[in-house]
Amino acid sequence: MKTLEDYLRDDAAIYPDKVAVICGETSLTYAELYRQVEQKAAELRSQGMGKGSAWVMRSSQDIDFLVSYFAIHLIGGTAVPLERNTPQPRFDEISRQVAASVIPEGTADILFTTGTTGRSKGVMISHRTIIADAENLIDGQGFSHDLLFLICGPLNHIGSLSKIFPVVLLGATLYLMEGMKDLETFFKAMDYPVQKVATFMVPASIRILLQLGNKRLARYVDKVDFLEAGGAPLPHADMLALCKALPKSRLYNTYASTETGIICTYNYNDGRCMPGCLGRPMRHSKVFITDDGHVACQGPTLMTGYVGDEEKTREVLHDGTVVMADNGEIDSEGMLHLTGRDDDVINIGGYKIAPSEVEDAAFSFPSVKDCICICGNHPVLGNILKLLVVLDEGVVLDKRALARFIADRLESYKVPQAFEQVTAVQRTYNGKIDRKYYRLR
Amino acid sequence: MKADKQTIRQQLEDLLPLVDFDSNFLFSELDSLGVTTILMTLSAEYGIELEAVDATPKNLMSLDSIVQMVDRKLAEKDV
Repeated sequence: MKTLEDYLRDDAAIYPDKVAVICGETSLTYAELYRQVEQKAAELRSQGMGKGSAWVMRSSQDIDFLVSYFAIHLIGGTAVPLERNTPQPRFDEISRQVAASVIPEGTADILFTTGTTGRSKGVMISHRTIIADAENLIDGQGFSHDLLFLICGPLNHIGSLSKIFPVVLLGATLYLMEGMKDLETFFKAMDYPVQKVATFMVPASIRILLQLGNKRLARYVDKVDFLEAGGAPLPHADMLALCKALPKSRLYNTYASTETGIICTYNYNDGRCMPGCLGRPMRHSKVFITDDGHVACQGPTLMTGYVGDEEKTREVLHDGTVVMADNGEIDSEGMLHLTGRDDDVINIGGYKIAPSEVEDAAFSFPSVKDCICICGNHPVLGNILKLLVVLDEGVVLDKRALARFIADRLESYKVPQAFEQVTAVQRTYNGKIDRKYYRLR
Repeated sequence: MKADKQTIRQQLEDLLPLVDFDSNFLFSELDSLGVTTILMTLSAEYGIELEAVDATPKNLMSLDSIVQMVDRKLAEKDV
């Protein structure tokens, strides 16, 4: 089986002068990129790394990261990219967890994601999965050799990371940028002299684009080949606004997760713009609904398992099937529709967050007597994390101090954006936090 | 109409508790959601049009520069 790095080597041989990646003022051709990857691989070998090594690293959205990612694969090791702001204690904890675990042969990546009940879990992804994801995307969304693909999201997340795969398989071009903070940079990328551009964005970034860049977007009506939304459901109003702004482009909503890989996709710029629709399974994937209404996925894009946690793996993955916490339906056209989920996980901009993890961190803050982390709504940002806290009598909440306290312990996307001091947290008769009560409010 | 620095500070601190609005390197502390939150909140609050071109390091360098940007936009609106 060919790996991603085999394709990269082929690209360097077939299209040595084609631009492989652009980041800021730097660009590398395929020949230059592969040379750098080989050099980095040699450097890693000289440091004693090799087959079976796992490299835990903070992911940055730049060429250095890309080179390191390919290089660790090239020497037969596993990449473990973490969020770039991961606090040191968390980084050390994950490093220890990975070092103490048996990593099956053929594991390309371990991506840390939130499980349904608390601590983050390392999802193992094989080289075979990477190629299957790539082929799903090529067939399902029409990636092509002459495409410029803009990556503006974090590369430790499957949403953005997976877009590297089809680009390398086809010898297309990547443009790496750091988030959507500076829309001018985004539009500069869009101005890059190519015929076709495409990108992947989480709903929050699409909101940014629509709110702050809608007029400018009109200039690229003929250039945007496709735009994929993923990570979290895109509000219907934003779907309609995008259809209006980019009438000629394919606009995709995708069903994907770290555990399942890239599964279904739906071009909602089809005149119907169906909310909640995720489309049909892609080339390598099968989807069905279990008897109790859950979405179940099959195919080579599935994870190998959770690193060092066979028990958790068995809970989610059995008989070659990953059963998700999402509830769904399949319509008469074979398209998947999501109808909700029945666990406590909160989805913020594509990151799944277990509220208990945030609460655990907040509980160590002096004077916090009780707390609950819920999904709040913000007129600008959409879904946000909100923490309701009960404090010792007479203490007034110092929001900023609490936010910083949590930020020192958890990844930045797990830090609530809204805080409210309350007198009590609703609990069930047996003392558990009554999450349902807060969801139904 | 003039923008009030203290009101803006309160509004923004409320939405972005992790951001230090006393910083003179504010732009480098903000992520994309932070930038958008600031622009969209001020746009809604003051009825001014803020777009991508306004999200410059100069405009978002400090709380003072944010206030100046709002004042400038308000003046343009009044014309």
